[in-house]
Amino acid sequence: MNIEPLMNDGFDGEPARRVLRYMEGHKEKGHPIVGIYCGYAPIELIYAMGIVPTVLCAFSKAPIPSAEAILPANLCPLIKSSYGFILEGTCPFFSMSSAIIAETTCDGKKKMFELAAQVKPLHVMDLPQLPDEVEALDNWTVMIRKLQGFLEKTYHTKATDQTIETAIQKTNRKNSMMRKFYDYAAIHPPVINWQEMYDVGFLALPSTGDEMIPLLETLLEKLDKRVEQGVHYGSPESPRVLVTGCPVGGDALKIFKIIEAAGGLVVVPDACTGIKAFMGKIEENTPDPVRAIAQRYLEIPCACMTPNDRRLSSLSEMIEKFKPDAVVDFVLTACHSYNVEAYKVGEYVGERHGLPYLKIESDYSDNDEGQIRTKIEALFEILG
Amino acid sequence: MKVYAGIDIGSRTIELVVVDIQGNIMDFIQTDTGFDPITEASRILAGVPHDQIMATGYGRGLFETAFDDAQTITEIKAHARGVVSIFPGATTILDIGGQDSKAIALNNGGRVKKFEMNDRCAAGTGKFLEIMAKNLGFSIDEFGVAALDAKNDLSINSMCTVFAESEVTSLIAKGADRKEIARGLHLSVVKRAAGMINRVSSLGPIVFSGGVANNPCIKALISQKLGRQVLVPEMPQRMGALGAALILAEKASESD
Ligand code: SF4
Ligand code: SF4
Repeated sequence: MNIEPLMNDGFDGEPARRVLRYMEGHKEKGHPIVGIYCGYAPIELIYAMGIVPTVLCAFSKAPIPSAEAILPANLCPLIKSSYGFILEGTCPFFSMSSAIIAETTCDGKKKMFELAAQVKPLHVMDLPQLPDEVEALDNWTVMIRKLQGFLEKTYHTKATDQTIETAIQKTNRKNSMMRKFYDYAAIHPPVINWQEMYDVGFLALPSTGDEMIPLLETLLEKLDKRVEQGVHYGSPESPRVLVTGCPVGGDALKIFKIIEAAGGLVVVPDACTGIKAFMGKIEENTPDPVRAIAQRYLEIPCACMTPNDRRLSSLSEMIEKFKPDAVVDFVLTACHSYNVEAYKVGEYVGERHGLPYLKIESDYSDNDEGQIRTKIEALFEILG
Repeated sequence: MKVYAGIDIGSRTIELVVVDIQGNIMDFIQTDTGFDPITEASRILAGVPHDQIMATGYGRGLFETAFDDAQTITEIKAHARGVVSIFPGATTILDIGGQDSKAIALNNGGRVKKFEMNDRCAAGTGKFLEIMAKNLGFSIDEFGVAALDAKNDLSINSMCTVFAESEVTSLIAKGADRKEIARGLHLSVVKRAAGMINRVSSLGPIVFSGGVANNPCIKALISQKLGRQVLVPEMPQRMGALGAALILAEKASESD
């Protein structure tokens, strides 16, 4: 079936170039830009100060050799790639940023941030890693307030409870529309594919509600048309796959491509580069909007948290909604957090949902595509 | 009468098995893969008449592009089918080939239930044994026999092929017994294989397929380490090609 490109703006399949154009638009208008790496960066606070967040490059194998001159080679490719881009000065988003927001998620990133701080102003937020402790919310609230102080000083701007509240409400609306967008993948067979989800997610993440909502309205209309016309991807028999685990982008997209080449359909990309970024709702109209933000971010089911049972309950919700036939857990080489957690995820998915589970451990190189392909095809043979 | 060919294009060898519609083996050829798998494959196929062909192994993708009428399945499904034709009640398969090793659990019907497969590195594969045999001056056939014969266990700590190589060099320098080093290297392959098997199934005999199953030391050590019986089919390296051929024959007899 020949399906008309979803956004049809000349950038379909090249979301990084689309976002670059978007960022350049902001830069021309003189808007301040701040770089972020992680799902824990509180973008509502950033919006509330009139600052534009930009996700920094971290998914290409190209700058890894430069990074390895300083970082150990047996480190997660995401960290090496990020740092390589910084060293080489090849990430345009990094060049545009006046400062970087960092969090104490995993050890590798934490230490890399110390090095990156020598290149650009960088503010580290101390992330509580036991989110269920009573103090966690207080502490994270304080850290977000501190970030506010850092941004106010660096960018000479201010946030008020009112501007933060407005940003919260707009993000909530954007995120709920994003979830509606992903709903089209829950249809059987799906009406959107991984590339479209990736394209839209890439743009939606740094965009404000005001920018994104009108676009999403037209996209949802287009998708309704596809439903009417019976346009869809694959066939009713194509294996439906939920991909969970580490963030996926750039050279790591091979995992999606191989699934597709083997005849499967990615119906939920669950990662910070997928649906995870748009989950949850920040409570509105509370007396302390910063605390409301803190609350929502602490609920992110990241493997750097312990325990991380929310990962399991959120997987259950996704499985019930998107009805995958199998779960693929994508673990970046040397990411101990997600790698160790994989065992628990595999057991849970098998016992609770009776679904076949496959862990793929890989980096950004392409020399293991044959092996990955064999694993994915064998997984589909089990289903067939 | 129609005949069905299964071809397993591995990193080291290519096997071709032809069966009739009842699944009787009519022909078997094995050759080295060499540097040009497709030419090698065409060469052995030229002399063997067949009506349909199913390719498996790491070269199956290449084969599919070169021959329009070829179908493909993974080594995992192919080995499972091949093994079940010989040991109908098999529940657990260990398949160690040239560059990959796999543990496969089967359900009652002989279908693949679960599998584990090594990541890209060579540790725990035939390639690893081959490199190490060469380092110690053994032929691949002598290697397993010598290791079986060693008096003591010696442990090699590096899992990585490159590091294991330097560990071996320093053991040789220290005057360690060549057979014992060989045994240590076999133990390191077995450690990996045992871990994979345990992740897929914990009970019953293990059917050992793939080229490395011809190595008597690996076989003995697996059985010893896991306390489970290890069965090796005659010509374990042809299980993949046999499975592929049988799946074709089965399809044909179903559509009759
Ligand atoms: S997976 Fe965890 S550490 Fe990585 S971006 Fe997401 S929240 Fe941050
Ligand atoms: S993938 Fe894992 S190791 Fe890499 S940055 Fe994320 S949490 Fe850290």
